[in-house]
Amino acid sequence: MMAMRVSDNTRFDTMINNLFAVQDRYNQLMDKMSSQKNINRPSDDPPGMGRVMKYRETQAAVTSYTRNVDSANAWITMSESKLTSVNNLLVRAKEIALAQSSGTANALTREQAAVEIEQIFDEIKSLANSKYGDRYLFAGTKMDQAPFSSTASAATIGTALTADDNSFDGTVASGGSYSGSVNKTYAVKIVSSGAFGAATYQVSEDGGKNWGGVTTMPVGGNITLGDGIDLTFTAGTTDLTTNDIFYVHASAEGYYHGNGEELFVEIGKEITFSYSISGQSIFTDKGKGDVDIFATLENLKTALLNNAPNDVAAQIDNLDAAGKQVNKCIARCGAKANRLEVAENNLSDLYYKLTELISKTEDVDIADITTKFSMQQIVLQASYAMAARIGNISILDFLR
Amino acid sequence: MSGISALNIAKDSLISHQTAINTTGSNIANVNTTGYTRQRPVFTTNGTMDVAAGLVQMSVSIDQIERVYNRFLEAEINEQIQDFGYSETRKEQLQLIEIIFNETTGEGIDDLFNKFWGALEDLSSNPEGQPERVALLSAAESLTYLFRSFSSDLVAVQDDANAAISDLVTQVNGKLASIADLNEKIAQNETGTGDTNVLRDARTVLAKELAECIDIQYFEDSRGALNIFISNGLTLVESGNYYTLDVQANAGNSFYYDVVFTDNPGVSINKYITSGRLAGFMEIRDTTAAAYLNDLNMLAATLVQEVNVQHRLGYDLMSNVGGDFFDPSKTDARTIAVSAAIIGDINKIAASETVNGDGTNAMYVGRLKDALVLNGNTSTFNGYYSSFIGGIGEDVASANRICNHHTDLMNQLNIKRESISGVSVDEEMLNLIKYQTGYSAAAKLCSTVQELVDTLLGLV
Repeated sequence: MMAMRVSDNTRFDTMINNLFAVQDRYNQLMDKMSSQKNINRPSDDPPGMGRVMKYRETQAAVTSYTRNVDSANAWITMSESKLTSVNNLLVRAKEIALAQSSGTANALTREQAAVEIEQIFDEIKSLANSKYGDRYLFAGTKMDQAPFSSTASAATIGTALTADDNSFDGTVASGGSYSGSVNKTYAVKIVSSGAFGAATYQVSEDGGKNWGGVTTMPVGGNITLGDGIDLTFTAGTTDLTTNDIFYVHASAEGYYHGNGEELFVEIGKEITFSYSISGQSIFTDKGKGDVDIFATLENLKTALLNNAPNDVAAQIDNLDAAGKQVNKCIARCGAKANRLEVAENNLSDLYYKLTELISKTEDVDIADITTKFSMQQIVLQASYAMAARIGNISILDFLR
Repeated sequence: MSGISALNIAKDSLISHQTAINTTGSNIANVNTTGYTRQRPVFTTNGTMDVAAGLVQMSVSIDQIERVYNRFLEAEINEQIQDFGYSETRKEQLQLIEIIFNETTGEGIDDLFNKFWGALEDLSSNPEGQPERVALLSAAESLTYLFRSFSSDLVAVQDDANAAISDLVTQVNGKLASIADLNEKIAQNETGTGDTNVLRDARTVLAKELAECIDIQYFEDSRGALNIFISNGLTLVESGNYYTLDVQANAGNSFYYDVVFTDNPGVSINKYITSGRLAGFMEIRDTTAAAYLNDLNMLAATLVQEVNVQHRLGYDLMSNVGGDFFDPSKTDARTIAVSAAIIGDINKIAASETVNGDGTNAMYVGRLKDALVLNGNTSTFNGYYSSFIGGIGEDVASANRICNHHTDLMNQLNIKRESISGVSVDEEMLNLIKYQTGYSAAAKLCSTVQELVDTLLGLV
């Protein structure tokens, strides 16, 4: 077989190409060594890159969920401790009621007891108005005022309120007498713009979450929202306009001004978690509650001041029930805390698993890379040695 | 047979070997000249003489200095270099794009999406919180900024490719003119006695450079002229004539250039350019980068749409019905922005589901991270983006592989070409020894004939 001619250019080009190839591999390894990552650009491992991004996304979500769990946990711990104090105060109130309903008590002790009950009332009120950060623990979702007042108010309909950006510049007034059993926020949204008689509106009795049917605004501007609430619109220069919002808070009679809603956060993919217990179910006889605690204490105080042992005794059952009601809520806090603990453990497990998966996919195996790197170093040295020598050998060395 | 004729033979031999040594010298001198084809003297015998024993071959001459090359191999190289030019251009451009979308550091759009969703979650657990609102606005602004920046980076790649197309067309025109000029000179010299080897070497190099830019077909006609066509058969070079190309902005393609013939500027020949660097730049500009931009725009438009719809269902801190979170008039990646109303007043973020100010609507907006809203309702935002990045990675990896393949092929062909046409100094040295020996022998012949003549004259 005829040998292939090897021209000088071939010799040098081949050598240079091979040297470049070796240097390229060496540099790639060096990249990986210095970044400690297998994937330094998407093309290094496209499917791996996709997996890492998916893991990172999940990890970011897990971090958010964990933050939510932490803040919900703080909220619940705080609620629980406040409620435990309330419970202790109720136990004390019951002791007083028991003592003062017996024959050994007299008008003087009852009067002193009434003072203590009044203090208990104030303390429970201040516990019930506790805040976490800027938010009332027991107000439901209505945070614009302290949820509990010192005196019971009759059923009220608040003044009609308007959203800041409403276009309508006429006035709106609320009226009627509230017949609802719990506190509500009624909202009216204008669906299509127009003058009275033309514009249409919707009513929501849960603050704007769910909306009723679309109705035309009567020419007179009087509408009935429900539960006995009326609104009267008086036209201004600008007509009712789409998305104008009017709302009114209505309270049932009693000490509570919050609402029965709960607060939610997400603690997992599409897992919402209610972390609050509304004051309505803890302190009132409305919604899920059975006893109005403040009314009971107020009645007890009145009975003591009236020196009426039978009336005092009548409140013992109520105080019992109040204690049970608060304890039930403490138990709910405990259950919520447990649920959060489980969630937190799962999330932190998941977080570390994801970290491990990310690391497995994109981090280099140090032992492996170091070995490869040393090997490549030897190859590079060999290539340099060869390159240095190949240029030197020629027939010229042997001609004189 | 006279002694004088032997002297003539010696003279011819001396001259021939001298020429051979010159040729060797020129080979050695050009050992590093690009495109140089080694030359070889072709010795032939000259004349015969009748003697009693029969015909005796007389004397020697060099019939021609031959270029040692394989026409088919050159054709193969020109074929391959088109694919090489195409694949290398694509590789280089895709690598530029890959740098834009490098998400490996976790600081790209994917990460900012995660921050955006996280900020919404945080807001949902503290809806009145100003820090949470500021954080959400800033996450959204970073996200939209990166959309705009990636989009303009991609457009910059397209613009650069467009400029490169115009440059390449200028280069192509220069080469066409030079090839036509060489055609003319080669035709003149071959009818005469001139040496065309150098001209042919130069033309081969030009043809190769041309093929790297644009895919061409060519043949050499009987007069030695190289005639060149593009793939649809339209002529680029015919003997000494050539037809230059030009670029025309195409209003239907973002005013990017179409390649046309200068004498027929209305007709784009883009579709006939299927290989070479020109085709590589056109592919990146019109197909690859354009598709990436489309994907990015789709992602941006869906984000604006979905977030706005959910945001409008909520209420802001002033009990207003939620407005648009992202500016609804800016629905592509190039322009996407948070709406001016939100930037002007972070309390306009509609985090609440009721007029009372809870955080549930922020949670609902945040839940969009898991909503299957893209790819025909099969992908989430992050999922769509990560498969988009995976796609780019795959494209770059495959362009690298294809380019490596063509580079290897080109290397192989070059080695083959070099093994035929390249200069080997070792070989030339041996040839030099061979020719020197021949030359010395001829000189010896001279002195021998001289001695013969001296002997003859001594008798007188």
